Amino acid sequence: MFMSELHIVIFLPVIAGILLFLLPERVFTLKGVLSVLVAAVCLIFSFILYFETAATGTLNLGKEFFKDGSLLNTLLKQTESFAAMHTDNLSKLIVLFVGLFTLIVSVYSTGYLFPKIRPRHYFSYFLITAGCANGAVLADHMLLFIFFWGIMGLTLYKLIKGHTSISASTAKKTFIMIGASDGIMILGIAVIMHLGFPLSISAMDIHTGSFAGVAAFLCLAAGAFTKAGAFPFHTWVPDYASYAPASSSAFLPASLDKLLGIYFLARLCNSMFVLNDWLTLLMLFAGVGTIIIGVMMALMQKDYKRLLGYHAVSQVGYMVTGFALGTPLGIAGGLFHLINNALYKSGLFLAAGHVERLTGRHTIDDLGGLSKVMPVTFFSVFVFSLAISGVPPLNGFASKWLIYQGIIEFGEGPGLANQLWVVWLALAIIGSALTLASFIKFISGIFLGHTKSIYRSVRGKDMLYCLPQAVLAIICIIFGVFASNWVIPGIIQKVSGDFAYPGIWESSTVSVLVMISIFAGLTIYWLMRGRGFRVDKAFVLGETQDHKTGGYPSGEYYKTITGNQVIRMIYRGAEKKYFDIYDIARETVLGISKRLSWLHSGILPVYLIWIIAGLLVMLIIFM
Amino acid sequence: MLRDIFYFLIFPGLLFAFAGGGFLSWFDRKVTARLQFRVGPPLLQPFYDCIKLFGKETIIPADSAQGLFFLSPVFAVAGAVLSCVLILLPAFGMTSGFAGDIIVVFYLLMIPSLSYIIGAIASGNPLAGLGASREMKLIIGYELSLLLVVAAVIMKAGHSLSLHEIIAIQQQQGAFIWSLSGILLFIVAMMCVQAKLAFVPFDIADAETEIAGGIFIEYSGTILAMVKIAKSVMLLALPSFVAVLLLGGLYFYGIHIFWSILKILGVVLLITLVRNTNPRLTTGQSMRFFFIWMNLIAVVAIVMTYIGW
Repeated sequence: MFMSELHIVIFLPVIAGILLFLLPERVFTLKGVLSVLVAAVCLIFSFILYFETAATGTLNLGKEFFKDGSLLNTLLKQTESFAAMHTDNLSKLIVLFVGLFTLIVSVYSTGYLFPKIRPRHYFSYFLITAGCANGAVLADHMLLFIFFWGIMGLTLYKLIKGHTSISASTAKKTFIMIGASDGIMILGIAVIMHLGFPLSISAMDIHTGSFAGVAAFLCLAAGAFTKAGAFPFHTWVPDYASYAPASSSAFLPASLDKLLGIYFLARLCNSMFVLNDWLTLLMLFAGVGTIIIGVMMALMQKDYKRLLGYHAVSQVGYMVTGFALGTPLGIAGGLFHLINNALYKSGLFLAAGHVERLTGRHTIDDLGGLSKVMPVTFFSVFVFSLAISGVPPLNGFASKWLIYQGIIEFGEGPGLANQLWVVWLALAIIGSALTLASFIKFISGIFLGHTKSIYRSVRGKDMLYCLPQAVLAIICIIFGVFASNWVIPGIIQKVSGDFAYPGIWESSTVSVLVMISIFAGLTIYWLMRGRGFRVDKAFVLGETQDHKTGGYPSGEYYKTITGNQVIRMIYRGAEKKYFDIYDIARETVLGISKRLSWLHSGILPVYLIWIIAGLLVMLIIFM
Repeated sequence: MLRDIFYFLIFPGLLFAFAGGGFLSWFDRKVTARLQFRVGPPLLQPFYDCIKLFGKETIIPADSAQGLFFLSPVFAVAGAVLSCVLILLPAFGMTSGFAGDIIVVFYLLMIPSLSYIIGAIASGNPLAGLGASREMKLIIGYELSLLLVVAAVIMKAGHSLSLHEIIAIQQQQGAFIWSLSGILLFIVAMMCVQAKLAFVPFDIADAETEIAGGIFIEYSGTILAMVKIAKSVMLLALPSFVAVLLLGGLYFYGIHIFWSILKILGVVLLITLVRNTNPRLTTGQSMRFFFIWMNLIAVVAIVMTYIGW
């Protein structure tokens, strides 16, 4: 029974995706509807799988379709030794959420992708991605894992190409970075093979005492970091967020890539490898570094999709920090934050796509006052923004709180990384405050203030757009309100193992009290209505407000921060991409090839000199 | 649950906190008046102000997002009262009822400021927007300093997050302020409280003489009364927080009641004195003040705590 569900969640979307290639692009809506159906079936089966007991098995690749003894039959039989599958509570949970996001984003994509901005064969690649994500999460053999993982890199590229004229170069950058990281991961697998460990993920237990062990860990972690978008391999995420269709951003960098990258990181840190003190320290540095760098960049962005892209980076830092702690509390925090982040971040991308679709503008300063014309989107964005900023009693607070508890508990240990707990805690919390700051800018710039007359006629209540966002917002609220008495003990602790809380957070009680306050507040307003409520123009010190020039530009909210010279220099450097690992690598490679290009002068004597010199060197070596 | 609601609405929640906060606000105004050689208001003036505001007409700005504009003062009151209850229950030694740890209190204490910001940007007034951006920058400034104080207290209390235990440890070993690091932490905590209450020199967000009330510029009538209630409650919650963290807590029995009131009044007196003797800082100055100087002092205090001073 278990194997049949496993086959369905992996192969149904892949096969459906391949079949969708056959349908012409004209029937895009039909393709969308079919994808929604496939996604719904997959979600049901992931749900069934979630309640099955953990098991190990082998993927059936279909050898019975071929005659016994034939070439293909023999080949498939041999291949099956690589097709080991394993489910445990972690992988089942991830598969469940992959299913949920596939369904939600496929509903949204059907409405969102109008012909001009549509990447070719969008839904084919979309479904293949979903299937491969499930495959990677459920695979037990490292080679099968890297196979599924690699295909996701390719589909990521295909889901952006053809969106706009600029998106081609972004697609290339993404592909090169993801591809390079996959290459490094294969190197890591080679080191593990060299060390003589079996390539089964569930059975691996490598100590990082030796150089080779550390090298293998770092190679594999680089892959996980790139996929999830953690510092220093994060630079493709903001570009992808700005230039890809919002539905692709919501699907891959915001949810599926995070789920996968952090899933693999969790496996690396907590079961495949035993981290030594220095690696823990390094991971914690990477974690808090990602938080701060991501959020500081987000603070200054004027393009709202790019702002979200930097937050997609910043939030990964919390998860990396949680898993790097290695304690059940830290793991629980990291995992809960992973799920929460996928919920609100994909929701935010969907909302950003909705805004972009209706207004055609990319910068915050061009927008304003949209809360009146798109109320559902505004409500959802408000919930997501508070959740991502960790405002109690929403879900983002619950998971961040777990991570903070984890850090404080971790601080009781004797190691250097433990003793530095104040640093991790301080940077994580200031990151949270900065997140709040940039979302204040996001909300106020896009949704609040004066509604420009060109946006008055915008019709922002389309069900296909609003429903996915509203569903995600409601899940965010539920996960927040019932965090401490249902979600953490019922879902998260099943994966992380039991732990005792050092602190106390009663999410439901607080939520009830907040509800009572809202009710009481509204009652007071209602009782006082007799005294009169009058709508009048805003008071601007007695002057008349010119809406063309007089509004406060939200894009400039945090300009004071760049008043500091050091910070200004860092921002300028970042704008010129001095810190982008992709650009650094590109400049290095191009620089070297430029130096070497004088060899290709086209002059025969130069070539001859090199040939003779080479022969001489060979002669000296082999003599 | 009913008991929690009682705690929340009556004691030590809304009713008690508003009464206490109103008294402290009178105390602040009276001291200010005496410093300026004026007579000052009568004891019940803060309550009269509120009652009067409830009876006034409320004006809603045309460009506002009305739902948020109305609800954010309610959120401010809720956040202030929740944090006040979570601070005062352990401070009074009441172990039953709902509870929260120091990190939860730290986060809840931010909600009133956040609500003011949201209310301000929802009003659609450019001056309120200006005030909101200033308030947010101020939060970014002091949040780290206050967190470092909290972290140092957690360290002193042997990695305990419960306010009950923090008070219990101070009962055994003496209040945390009686050490070199404790004094430094108290200085930083007081500055953070000053900024959280938006008192001079950190009143940049509502700077009345400059941006005419900034974040509160559009509030009037009933909704302004809500803001006043939230501010009063915060005036009790924050000094109590400092008292719990560093001054050995508050007690609600016998002669200790007198000492507890003195502690709170002492803290409020310090705040009042600072606010009456300083000019307003600019946004950049106050961010620098917290980011460089207060954080430096807090880090020194943490290092001192680490080596046992």
